[in-house]
Amino acid sequence: MNVIEYIGGRIRDLRTSYGEGEGLSQEALAKALGTTANTISRWETRTYRPSIEDLERLARFFGVPILDFFPQKETQIEENQADKQLNALLRAAKQLPPEDIEELQKYAEFRIARSLHKQANKLQAKRKRKT
Amino acid sequence: MSRTEYYENMKAHARAIRSKHGLSSLKVKKSDIKAIYKEYNIQYDLWPVKDTPFTAKFRKLRGAFFNDEHGTTIMISRSLPEAPAIFTMCHEFKHYLVDRELGSVLCSDYNLQEEIEIGAEVFAAEMLFPDDIFTELLTQMGVRKGLCNPEHLVRLKRENEATISYAGLVKKAEFLQFIPIGSFSKVKFTKLEEQIYGIPYFKKFNCHKK
Repeated sequence: MNVIEYIGGRIRDLRTSYGEGEGLSQEALAKALGTTANTISRWETRTYRPSIEDLERLARFFGVPILDFFPQKETQIEENQADKQLNALLRAAKQLPPEDIEELQKYAEFRIARSLHKQANKLQAKRKRKT
Repeated sequence: MSRTEYYENMKAHARAIRSKHGLSSLKVKKSDIKAIYKEYNIQYDLWPVKDTPFTAKFRKLRGAFFNDEHGTTIMISRSLPEAPAIFTMCHEFKHYLVDRELGSVLCSDYNLQEEIEIGAEVFAAEMLFPDDIFTELLTQMGVRKGLCNPEHLVRLKRENEATISYAGLVKKAEFLQFIPIGSFSKVKFTKLEEQIYGIPYFKKFNCHKK
């Protein structure tokens, strides 16, 4: 399964298990994100690729880290590096209010996710060219 | 290198950037700085991303600079108003030019007293409004050192459409000895500007709407 397929599956999983398994309709998720149910459906069926900003909004909505939308194999090394960097950064940021530290952490993860997202898009474009 | 030499060096860097990128006026727009970032391959992010719930925002952090395997990135707090955002964009650009070997630099109200942060403030102020132009324009207005009043600064900003904030202008006026330090700390510049030039249309429109 490639990253883009994984992302689609992850969106569906998070949506259907939302609210302790009650689930959420595509329409309700679309409304919360300010998009259309059609777009949600196409993300889930891998017809459309959500942008990195879409993934960030989804992560905030579901209350998960943005790296949750990427396969663990891809994120593990990145996460270890990110942890080291983040710890160094947070040591420097210890005077900041907790809300700022939380946002900073989200931003650090967003930068890693963007790298992975770009790599995945490049890979998919390469595959398309081959076929 | 002494502190004074370091700050003068930062000013020279800022003037060189102005001349290299054709920033000839005092009206510097976000798009001007974004174009410079693009030339240096710097990724620019406003954080949080657009359409995020309004409760998610930085309270003290103004911006940050990152330089690692994920690229060179400048992040600016989305909640900053236009002028402080442009100032912070210039401030972070100094970190790219001078401090990029540090990897990442966080810029908030808390660490403003550190040397590299003061250097970045000096750089940003010079990039938006060089000291020599400031002195020249005030002299043209007939203002001599020690005899500058708040109205002079309002006229200076308005008539030159300067991007720099009133706080930035006051600091410059203090540094260049046009005013004694702290003498304008209680001046309400926006109010004064409205008294001289009238209430801006958008404010009248908003009042009317209410």
